[in-house]
Amino acid sequence: MAQGRKGKLNYRCPRCLMREIDMDMLYDEDRDEYYCLRCSFTGDENEVKRLNQQFREKYRDRLTRITDF
Amino acid sequence: MAKFYVNIVHRPEMVPEYIQKEAEQGRVEDLTRASVLQESLDIFRTQQQIAHDNGLRTTIQMTYASLFNEEAVAIAKEHHLLYGDEIGLTFLGIQCKEFREKFHSRELAIWLFSMEDKRRIVDELFSKFEQVFGFLPTSTGSYYMDAELVNYIKERYPMVKAAVATCWEEGPKAYWNANNSWYTLLDGGPWNPWIPSKRNIHCIASDEDDDIGIVAIPHLSRDLMAVFDGPGSYYGTHPQNILRGMVYEGDQLPYFKNIVDQYRAMHKYNRGYAYNMMYVGPGWMSKGGRWEADYALLLKSYQDGMAYYGELKRRGELEDLTMSEFADVYRQGRPYTRPECTLWKDILYGSRRQMFWYADPWMRFCLDMNQGGALVDLRPYAARLVRPCGVGTKANQDASYPFLVQSLYRAGFFTHYAGEGAVKSCKIGYHGEQVDLCTCRTQASFSEEGDARVVTLDPVTIAFETVTIRVQSVFRLREGSGEIEITRRILESSDPAAEFSINEYLTGCYGTTEYPEDLTGVRLSLIDGGQTDTIDYAYRSRELERAAVDRVQAVLPQVDTLVEMRPDGPAAGYLREGFSFSPMFTLGIQKTIQSKGELRTWLKVAKAS
Repeated sequence: MAQGRKGKLNYRCPRCLMREIDMDMLYDEDRDEYYCLRCSFTGDENEVKRLNQQFREKYRDRLTRITDF
Repeated sequence: MAKFYVNIVHRPEMVPEYIQKEAEQGRVEDLTRASVLQESLDIFRTQQQIAHDNGLRTTIQMTYASLFNEEAVAIAKEHHLLYGDEIGLTFLGIQCKEFREKFHSRELAIWLFSMEDKRRIVDELFSKFEQVFGFLPTSTGSYYMDAELVNYIKERYPMVKAAVATCWEEGPKAYWNANNSWYTLLDGGPWNPWIPSKRNIHCIASDEDDDIGIVAIPHLSRDLMAVFDGPGSYYGTHPQNILRGMVYEGDQLPYFKNIVDQYRAMHKYNRGYAYNMMYVGPGWMSKGGRWEADYALLLKSYQDGMAYYGELKRRGELEDLTMSEFADVYRQGRPYTRPECTLWKDILYGSRRQMFWYADPWMRFCLDMNQGGALVDLRPYAARLVRPCGVGTKANQDASYPFLVQSLYRAGFFTHYAGEGAVKSCKIGYHGEQVDLCTCRTQASFSEEGDARVVTLDPVTIAFETVTIRVQSVFRLREGSGEIEITRRILESSDPAAEFSINEYLTGCYGTTEYPEDLTGVRLSLIDGGQTDTIDYAYRSRELERAAVDRVQAVLPQVDTLVEMRPDGPAAGYLREGFSFSPMFTLGIQKTIQSKGELRTWLKVAKAS
């Protein structure tokens, strides 16, 4: 079926996210993949999660509790 | 003793932007869909309960839609009685069946209506509120409240004393972040509460005559470094914003507490006062999940955030006030000239970067210690620009306050191949070599000397081919002066007899976005006693210099602003006109000094007319 739908979570396109653009993806059930209307990204859920993790890595203090101000 | 005030605001938004958008997937729009209304109300109830369970009071900002919902009204009344929550009125969430029938518009942003419509909507909302509750609200708000709108509200409803009036630096960056579809173009305001000018809501009122009559509160407390270079809706006291920014692992987001604690520490810069604001609309806690986070995480992040505020309150380190209560406290004993300052440090990227933010009735500016204390943002509040927004105005959607310097929108130190970017810094030269302090990363400390706030930068070492020097920059801000005093001092030199040129400069332009504006009509002047040399900007790359100047200045009629630099003694001055590929102007003051010598200059902005 050609009609893209929202997936189980509203995954944003991880490539657009790298440019800090929040772009919700559509999900193609037949191919079990998400795709972006803006940048041509395609990938399954694992690929999206892998790239999202890469995005997080710029925040080196994301798990650090900082109290010295 | 330090005081940390917190406002927690909730709104029963019956048709939240995000939930409605999700509900629309594969369906036609229906503003009365029962499932959306019920979910939104459930979320509002949950948020209220989380606050109350943590011993915190809230300000309930009723939306227009919620004034037609008996359950929402009943909850508000009950919580006002039981917990002392304030019932206010917001201009967010106006879209509902009743609004469509009355105003025949799909517009959702109050500041973007025509002035005539703004008046009609204000009157309708306040009158409906009074009809429902039997009294008029004393607090209101939206993502943005323009001065013309607030002036009208104060004229008709003088009891209003507080309003959520801007989102800090929610401008072009928010627009890009939302795939160029989120029209909150509101850059240029203060990051903490302020008393706005009657002429422009972004500007801090200079005196009683200029006082608009409310205390303005920014929508959320934002990360003053991350949001300068990133989307506002990733980094602030809004747990779901943090999830959106992916600043978490698993279900842990210590960054929320780090922001709160950095805001708490602002009492060191602001005479013992610090502030936080948390305002999460129900659309952010959708049962269907949002931003890759399921409902369980959305809920937990909110619970954890509120629990931290609750813990601080129990420890006696936080005072939870309603918006109107806060407005009263804020005004107590506060002179109009008192600045808001903050030496913000990176709590996200693991660098040691610091930025110093300052706002008073004359200007807002930012110094970046990563660039040797370069001034990277400058907004001339002294111009008090009357700049109405909304349908029928010249600005229309662009409600930002113009900058003279914005190093991210207009390049700053680093440009590609040609030209110059907007920044204020200093260049030090020796025998044909030149080093810009922008390249000398450093740290700063803050102190007060009487009525002056002082930012002292750690000395930096500059190694020329045959001589090495240590240079220190000090910024002194005397309250009420409307000027920045900047001292560049050579503390040491490996050759005490060596002479160095020291060149304090400002490269500026004007605008509200990253795109250039026409500089035709800008007048640059070198002034020495009765002698004045001028360049009327025409993109011709002209330069002028005088061996001695009293001051150098630029007048920008487009933003009714004069920007001026003056030295404390004999010094040369120069002007530089740009060209189309580098639409900037440069003002400079320079002199030759030896070790232990210094150049002291003052930067001032004023209304040109």
